[in-house]
Amino acid sequence: MAKIELPYLLDFCTLQTEDFTRIHTFFDNLKEGRLTTTKCMKCGEILWQPRTVCPHCNADEMEWIDLPQEGKLFAFTEVIYGAPLGMEQDAPFSIGLVELENQPMSVLARIDDAHYEDLEVGQEMKLKIITLEDGRVWFRWVHKK
Amino acid sequence: MNGIEYHIIEIIYGSSNDRRKGGIEVRKVAIVRGGLAKFGVRKATYKELAQEAGNAVFDDIPNLDKKDVDSLFLGSAGPDRFAFQCYPAPLVAEQVGVQPRNLIMRTELACASGQAAMRAAYASIAAGLSDIALVMGVEKMNTPNLAEAQTTMAAVMDREWDGVNGMSAPPFFAMIMQRHMYEYGTTREQIAKVSVKNHDNSASNPFAQFQQRFTIDDVIKSVEISKPIRLLDCSGITDGAAGIVMTTEEKAKEFTDTPVYIEGLGQCNMGSLVSNLPSLTTWESLKVAFRNALDMAGKGIMDMSFAEVHDCFTISEIVIYEDSGMCEKGQGGKHIEDGNPYVGGKLPVNTHGGLLGTGHPLGATSIAQTVEVIEQFRGEVPEERYVGGEWALTHNLSGNANVHSVLVMRRGG
Ligand SMILES: [Zn+2]
Repeated sequence: MAKIELPYLLDFCTLQTEDFTRIHTFFDNLKEGRLTTTKCMKCGEILWQPRTVCPHCNADEMEWIDLPQEGKLFAFTEVIYGAPLGMEQDAPFSIGLVELENQPMSVLARIDDAHYEDLEVGQEMKLKIITLEDGRVWFRWVHKK
Repeated sequence: MNGIEYHIIEIIYGSSNDRRKGGIEVRKVAIVRGGLAKFGVRKATYKELAQEAGNAVFDDIPNLDKKDVDSLFLGSAGPDRFAFQCYPAPLVAEQVGVQPRNLIMRTELACASGQAAMRAAYASIAAGLSDIALVMGVEKMNTPNLAEAQTTMAAVMDREWDGVNGMSAPPFFAMIMQRHMYEYGTTREQIAKVSVKNHDNSASNPFAQFQQRFTIDDVIKSVEISKPIRLLDCSGITDGAAGIVMTTEEKAKEFTDTPVYIEGLGQCNMGSLVSNLPSLTTWESLKVAFRNALDMAGKGIMDMSFAEVHDCFTISEIVIYEDSGMCEKGQGGKHIEDGNPYVGGKLPVNTHGGLLGTGHPLGATSIAQTVEVIEQFRGEVPEERYVGGEWALTHNLSGNANVHSVLVMRRGG
């Protein structure tokens, strides 16, 4: 079980193991360097975020598919003040919405190593997987080059 | 944006105005009067704010016996977090001295929690479940640690997939501002004019958090919050409360010579997760909400005498001009530059100072907009921001602009 520093109900990062979530496979895959999501086995819709039930056709059988880890920056900001508890010490930090390569899907994440002035719509971005101190994983964007 | 098909046409034709076309009989709903607790960083608790607003409401309706209030609808977005208080409706009932016997509930719809309470009251009165309803909005947002309030606000977003990335209201609307400037060439100065206009209006509003005027230069040089959004692009973190009494057309005449009738309601939700929204800069669900509310009232947007809309950030009001049909898409910046949303302009917007000027105590916001409509219709606002007229609307967005709620109101009497 993950070690939690903030009280659970003040920790934005969700619990990731099979004791707590039915989409623990997402986090297991992320640990192995794969960005994945669920695809409905009945209607074929690719869902973000990963689901256990398809909101389109109501089927509950999903398969895991790999998503591209590169894309183009669509929208962005840089948080200076007002970050929530647990993220105050990280500010300033940037956030961006990235349109995935060859996949009609956008993924929001923090952007590392870039201020607002370094960012432009259309820039090539790539995924960066981060590991928290307690072993949980998450993802961010960075410039591709 | 994730290739999700939103059922835009289907929603429009399944709209609330079908009920009228279908001839289902419902009772006409009126707003009697309202009152406010002063908005700001208050040296007062959640319960004390509720008492103040209750006091103002009942003072304004002297011949209403509290015993005749049969229902309470309380809009409150996050007392569970902001004020460490769950289950606030009976608590507020006790504070203001009413004993609801028909319906009592707290409504939560983030920034539109107050309008959600009004809509619930409307439905209950229209259907005959309630006769006299007290509708209140109460929010206590300021605590000694501002990061706690920011944490609650970030949890309004999908906490696990958006909030976890530091996404909250300012960064979300910052991305909209960034995209709007990129897509339409909207200028920083045009956007700043919204803040200048609304603070000009709130300067003469004694209940406003900010009774202070600013220049364009003040806005574009104020402290950076989430780039390109600066402090004066943001509404406040505000403590406040507001209340109104809603009842039937017949009963309203016992209490006021100027009832305000709710003639149209429209509301629409599309999506939740930021990356799944239909668009950042075009708010499809706003279009549906405005169209349904105005269709139900049999009016067009430019038939309104004034509009109180949800300027949680300066850029929000720019997008609202466009998607509500006050101007063409992409022309929101020019719309304000041309003087249209000012008092004396084509369609004055946010005559009370908006959220930018009066502050934004989430649950109380919509009720305070309604109090402005009542006071405008009654001619009780200062001359410099008086518009009056017969028709007005209130609008709230909530969360990441995925829900829009609109009420069209008409002056009676
Ligand atoms: Zn499906």
